[in-house]
Amino acid sequence: MRKKIVFMVSLLAIFGLVTSVFGQKKPDFPRKSVTVICPWSAGGGTDVLLRALSKETEKFLGQSITVVNNTGGGGGIGHAAIMNANPDGYTVGMITFELNSLPPQGLIPFTYKDYDPLMRINADPPALTVKKDSPFNNVKDFIAYAKTHPSEIAIGNSGPGSVWHIAAGLMAQQTGVKVKYVPYDGAAPAVTSLVGGHIQAVSVSVAEVRAQVDAGNLKILGVMDNKRDPLYPNVPTFKEQGIDVTFYTWRGLALPKKVNPAIKAILSDAFKKAFDSQEFQAFAKKVGLNLAYQNDKDFAKFLETNAKDVEAVMKTLGLTKK
Amino acid sequence: MNVDFGMLYHSFGNIFTLNVMFLIVVGVTGGIVVGALPGLTATMGVALLIPLTFGRPPVASLSMLMGIYTGAMYGGAISAILIRTPGTPAAAATILEGYPMCKKGMAGSAMAMSLFSSFIGGIIGCAIMIFMSPLISGFALEFGPVEYFALAIFGLSVIISVSGRSLVKGMMVGFFGLLLSSMGLDPISGYPRFTFGFSELMEGPNFIPTLIGLFAVSEVIANIEKMLKTEKVKAKLNQYLPSWSEIKRSTGALIKGSLLGTVIGSIPGAGGDIAAFVAYAETKRSSKTPELFGTGMVEGVAATEAANNSCQGGAMIPLLSLGVPGDAVTAVLLGAFVIQGLQPGPLLYKDHMDLVYAIFAAMIVAQFVMQFVGMVGMRFFAKVILIENAILMPMILVLSMIGSYAMRGNVFDVGLTIVFGIIGFLMQKYDFPLSPILLALILGPMAESNLRRALVISGGHASILFSRPIAIVLMVLAVTFLVLSIFTHNKIEKRLAELAVKDDDMTLT
Repeated sequence: MRKKIVFMVSLLAIFGLVTSVFGQKKPDFPRKSVTVICPWSAGGGTDVLLRALSKETEKFLGQSITVVNNTGGGGGIGHAAIMNANPDGYTVGMITFELNSLPPQGLIPFTYKDYDPLMRINADPPALTVKKDSPFNNVKDFIAYAKTHPSEIAIGNSGPGSVWHIAAGLMAQQTGVKVKYVPYDGAAPAVTSLVGGHIQAVSVSVAEVRAQVDAGNLKILGVMDNKRDPLYPNVPTFKEQGIDVTFYTWRGLALPKKVNPAIKAILSDAFKKAFDSQEFQAFAKKVGLNLAYQNDKDFAKFLETNAKDVEAVMKTLGLTKK
Repeated sequence: MNVDFGMLYHSFGNIFTLNVMFLIVVGVTGGIVVGALPGLTATMGVALLIPLTFGRPPVASLSMLMGIYTGAMYGGAISAILIRTPGTPAAAATILEGYPMCKKGMAGSAMAMSLFSSFIGGIIGCAIMIFMSPLISGFALEFGPVEYFALAIFGLSVIISVSGRSLVKGMMVGFFGLLLSSMGLDPISGYPRFTFGFSELMEGPNFIPTLIGLFAVSEVIANIEKMLKTEKVKAKLNQYLPSWSEIKRSTGALIKGSLLGTVIGSIPGAGGDIAAFVAYAETKRSSKTPELFGTGMVEGVAATEAANNSCQGGAMIPLLSLGVPGDAVTAVLLGAFVIQGLQPGPLLYKDHMDLVYAIFAAMIVAQFVMQFVGMVGMRFFAKVILIENAILMPMILVLSMIGSYAMRGNVFDVGLTIVFGIIGFLMQKYDFPLSPILLALILGPMAESNLRRALVISGGHASILFSRPIAIVLMVLAVTFLVLSIFTHNKIEKRLAELAVKDDDMTLT
């Protein structure tokens, strides 16, 4: 009898212990520091944004966050590292536009479908920018000239198959003009080359031309967004000028597949709070980021349509593998 | 632009506060360490510390970043001289004379000269930046694809000067380097070339791991081979400053190095690595005893270190006055400015003149701090060569592996370093010079992508290459330099032959 009671009590105790472990609503997370993978090099735009966001997130997560730069392969290596990370929630990654432009080129064997998206952070539209003393004053002039002078205008971008190369291609495709695409090693050298008068235009983001526009060396003819840029409210969108093109480069956070949903919720909550913090918002304003938050579901939908759009344009540009 | 001396004087007041001075000393010291460690570059040092500047006042944070920049440019020379490992790409040319000096037991002298010439180069670079920014910044904008192509060709004409005894071998190595530089994504069409299916090779063989492999790992292998046979050279380490006679000998090299460094540094995309090689070649060409180069000439160290440190002032010119970064470090600095709510460029001069002068002052102060910290550190750094080879070589190997990994956080690069270590070892064993590979890896992609860009712009007409005055001048210079180098080379061969005859006579009698 006594033995039976002892047995029952211990059984109950074990049961209680087990339920207390598995029945807990909130997992005990995070118990150690979290790593965030950046597929681009330290000091670049993506890296600076990620470090600023991570610094704020630490406060809400209660643990330190280490940003690791896994670079190379045009961003492919870092993206692969995020996908292959241990799905315990201790590794988060920043995914960028290239996740949708590398697969059509046959440069990476995986796509956005191999990730569990967490949230979109920003979406920056390209702008068509020319020299201040250029005869063009709006996108219409520019397009009209390009139509009568095919293959004369050289538009600089940030690299072959890069987001701004595709943006220029999209513009040409929609308007039926022929231009020359000049890829540079990043946006900065393309902008410098435009200031020096070696090319006629660039199709990079507003943030990337801002310094030279403010200095009076360049002027923006239009932005490929559906609203005007808050920094330059006088510059009309492409749509307003009769050319229905919108295009964005984007950055967001993602997890490897199979992360516990409860852990994902904790991470997404902490990053969202950091995103909303005054410090991060002020940072974004200073560097001219176009913040465009989307939750995991919307971000997943966005990724799907974006991948299709990008592949279609790349095909017309002859940038796809097939 | 007229320089406002009153304001400059005032900005020194802003720098000479306990807080800012402390940050500069910390920055310079950290920079020297980052620079001396292979794989950690000035760019990375600045990039990793940017988050620390969030929320700090602009003068303090930018002063610290300038300190790191200054320290790292010098730090690369320490490991280049002592363990034949260029801590930063810009120090690769310093190996040419620095390491032979170390082997001859003149490490103290080489270290002292590298620090002193870094200081002189840094000061001259700053001076040119302060007084001649508007003049030089306009020049930088003239550089389009055609000019960059011509600049790369000019840089490649230096290959003969770093080829050693055999021109044919130098050429072979140079072309091997150019072949390597064609690996990776095509710069215009984005098509992958010679990647053998490795996405890690999409940007070609990564420069830093290649550099570490060719120089450091190959030296480790070579040392293992002869470990039991050779005895260590006793080195004197009691020198903090170069001797007066050394300075006098190197005056020309210092001035030429500094001027070349500042001008090349001010051209966006061309940095300390190119400047150091060009300065070295010019110093060798104009030397009365070019045949002794490669055996440990102090002028060689002076030229290369003055060149890569003066690049800092040069690279800041387009950043501050145009908002265009002059090299990789200033590209990261541009981000730091923006985070502070400042937009470098003409408007910075107009609206924040006080800050521009504070940066000038911080840079000058950082040069002095570098000289001081460098002198203090020398006794510690130089202890490295007293370590037994059996202990030092494995340490260098480990450091090389970590350094090549740290660059991109990729194990593939460690393998790459080992492969290039073996290639470098075999090349040296059969008397092939290593430097032409580096020149080709630095300048090959620059030449290719800009030639292709120029041709896209011209619609395929090669005439564009001869349509721009700066480009024509550079190409004429390249041909002139090539011809002169061949003359110098023949002169060297003749003198060495005479020396050999003399030696034979001596042994006969």
